[in-house]
Amino acid sequence: MKIYGDLLLIIEAETKRGKIILTRIQQKAHVPFDRLKIYLSELKELGLIQDEASLKITEKGRQYITEYEKVTDFMKRMGLTYRL
Amino acid sequence: MYSMYSSCLIAIEIVSATLAFILAKFMIKPYQCTGESRYIGLPLGFVFLGVSYVFMGAALSSDSFPFVQKMRWLQLLTQAYAFAFLAVTYYFSKQTPKRSTHLWGQILFSILILGVIVSCLIVFVPPTFTLPSYKTTDKYFRGFNIIFALYLSISTLRTHASKPCPRTILAPIGYILLAFSQYSFLIWSLDLSESAFVGAYILRLTSLLVFLFISYKAFSAHKAKRK
Repeated sequence: MKIYGDLLLIIEAETKRGKIILTRIQQKAHVPFDRLKIYLSELKELGLIQDEASLKITEKGRQYITEYEKVTDFMKRMGLTYRL
Repeated sequence: MYSMYSSCLIAIEIVSATLAFILAKFMIKPYQCTGESRYIGLPLGFVFLGVSYVFMGAALSSDSFPFVQKMRWLQLLTQAYAFAFLAVTYYFSKQTPKRSTHLWGQILFSILILGVIVSCLIVFVPPTFTLPSYKTTDKYFRGFNIIFALYLSISTLRTHASKPCPRTILAPIGYILLAFSQYSFLIWSLDLSESAFVGAYILRLTSLLVFLFISYKAFSAHKAKRK
């Protein structure tokens, strides 16, 4: 759950910058490149991104990001640690 | 005069229970979002806290001595387990998630749930041995609750201290207030101090409101920020 949320946030931030570069996403997410491809494929299957090439976040993806941010903020406020 | 006094107390227990159950709805979100069983103790803790307030309210509303005794025992047990669930959650949230910690967490939660069921059954099904004095047991349980609540306070304070931020100071404050509430109840049970009794209720309600504020800021205020 955490990796999906983190990836979507990184993709969102990279989208705002303009061109999306996979290696930059990989560096920010701290995952091996082949694992990143798997996660992106899973995100597409879940309907959170449109496709692995364009990496455009869908409306469902945006809702996921909102929910993810709320819950992680809540956990932080409650003093809970979330470790992978 | 007495019935007005007990009506007041019953009303406070109802308000406390309502707040605790509302909080449980928020506290389940980390478990729902992450799917990790180590966070299940958070909503369970607040549910049991709410249930303990319901039992106390029931005890205050009745004149039947056997019923009152049973309700008081149930209140004692459910409140203690509430603090235990919360403490176990915070303990395991700090551990690196490995298979062994995951397994220990599940074992501990299962033991706690079994413990709740068995100890509540003992209240209704008379055991072959006689139950200890309620007043003495109450003091010991309050002591355990204070220890658990202090652990929660220290744990959340440490998290706050590792990365100081205004958002993270409220949780330790909430747990410290809960700990002091238990301490006030303990003082009241020892010397029947009226101020300790009143103070205990005030501290309890304040702590629940602090947690409600945390939940509101995280969920409702966040919604406005995203828009």
